[in-house]
Amino acid sequence: MRAFGYEIDELVVDHVLLAVVPVLLGLVIALPLGWWAHRSRGARRVLVPLSGALYTIPSLALIVFIPVLLATPILSPLNVLVTLTIYAVALLVRSVAEALDSVSDTVTTAAVAVGYRPTGLLLGVQLPLAVPVLTAGVRVASVTTFSMVTVGALVGVQSLGTLMTDGFQQDYTAMVVTGIVGSIALAFVFDALWLGLGRSLTPWSRARAGV
Amino acid sequence: MIEFRDVGKRFADGTVGLESLSLTAREGEITVLVGPSGCGKTTSLRTVNRMVEPTSGSVHLAGQDVAEADPALLRRGIGYVIQQAGLFPHRRVIDNVATVPVLQGLPRREARARAAEVLERVGLDGAMAQRWPAQLSGGQQQRVGVARALAGDAPVLLMDEPFSAVDPVVRVELQDELLRLQADLGKTILFVTHDIDEAIRLGDRVAVLRVGGRLAQFAPPDELLAAPVDDFVSGFVGRDRGYRRLGFVPATALRLVDLPTRADENGSSGVPGEWTVLLDGAERPAAWLGPDGARHDLGSVYVTDGADAASDGAGTLRGALDAALSSPAGRGVAVDGAGRYRGGVDTDDVLALLDRGAP
Repeated sequence: MRAFGYEIDELVVDHVLLAVVPVLLGLVIALPLGWWAHRSRGARRVLVPLSGALYTIPSLALIVFIPVLLATPILSPLNVLVTLTIYAVALLVRSVAEALDSVSDTVTTAAVAVGYRPTGLLLGVQLPLAVPVLTAGVRVASVTTFSMVTVGALVGVQSLGTLMTDGFQQDYTAMVVTGIVGSIALAFVFDALWLGLGRSLTPWSRARAGV
Repeated sequence: MIEFRDVGKRFADGTVGLESLSLTAREGEITVLVGPSGCGKTTSLRTVNRMVEPTSGSVHLAGQDVAEADPALLRRGIGYVIQQAGLFPHRRVIDNVATVPVLQGLPRREARARAAEVLERVGLDGAMAQRWPAQLSGGQQQRVGVARALAGDAPVLLMDEPFSAVDPVVRVELQDELLRLQADLGKTILFVTHDIDEAIRLGDRVAVLRVGGRLAQFAPPDELLAAPVDDFVSGFVGRDRGYRRLGFVPATALRLVDLPTRADENGSSGVPGEWTVLLDGAERPAAWLGPDGARHDLGSVYVTDGADAASDGAGTLRGALDAALSSPAGRGVAVDGAGRYRGGVDTDDVLALLDRGAP
């Protein structure tokens, strides 16, 4: 589909990749960190404020600084990807720790008592039971990331944000609105997907007596 | 056999959980640890499967020092029932019970077959197997907890206040169930409770602990009731212990008396001027018929053989006394294990037995 001189389909695919990959990577990085913060009071005192502090770095500064650090070309989408992954980690470390905290002590004690080792306990008991709280955290990270992708357009990385920057320059309102509405719609769609995934992983959470 | 040898536990914050506990839980028996909160009963239980590491002394399981075992493997070989069941909310009942067999390396299909067997054993039917734990009542959850502990076929069970979160009626059901299972299985059970009545009901031997895990008395329940060693134990064992102890004394010397009986039919009349027992078609007492011809409630009956867990042949003196005292006729009704009429219990005979110091 072509409009405003752009292949909209391509912009949408770029936008989705730039938003979804950082959330997935962020989750993979945040899981061990969050688990550590959950296990150790000392680690938590450092990790949670530190990851929160990452969020205070202005995104544009980060996007511009990353190429210096990683020696990537200034226009590479990788810079946006890395920046957004850092923000996702910042949001998710705390979420993972809190999701693991939400698992009842009685259940983890019982799991240890029947002979789970730490890894089996995490993968077989704690993570599955942490899914409801974790899903809530991932949804926040996902929505945030979808809106932040547009910042990449300022340094020339393509996404629906490109329609906004170019639209402003050309004083073309319909183009700007298409960019805004499109990026909001994508954020909603993926929010619903995360919600659906979380629910499909937790059929037990909707079971009540007499069902 | 579980052996505690001078087991001490000092926590990191300096509090003493256990001072120096020495105690042996015998093979095939239920050993109950009872005491007020802070007496270290749960701590001592958890030293057995290394969920708590003692700071001094050692715990031996079938002669082996548990400190030398791999903790996870050790735990897979010990059944554990926790307060409030501690079921895994994300696994169906059958998979909760199959947890230990799966950890032990059994293929899932065989583990489930084993789980189904054990569920049946604790009185849960097949329909329950596919439910989520949240769909069960507290009592049912606790049964599943017991099933999960039995599924690994461990010879040793640790039970940490397993029945304290359910209501009193269900608690008695679960206690009976445990005694029934234990009669079949003969596990070595270490049972922790703060409820002295539960301890006396379930324990082959009961250890009363003071704060700090100091052993106040370790004895069979009737001995605990008859001869508490000090004020702490007698205070903890509580009131009416003389009467409660009669529940452990068989009424072997008690002779049953004959009572006038009649078949319980419409308009049946009793022996004139006497209290008469009405019997139903299966020879089971149904009610008293007073001298005035009015029906009266039977009162509690004295069960003479078999059915009472604490007896072998004769019923207990407590049962006899209770039957005599609760009857409107001044004499109690005795039945056999199947509930059939056997005779009467005369209050004077029971009191004479007590007077002779039968206990």
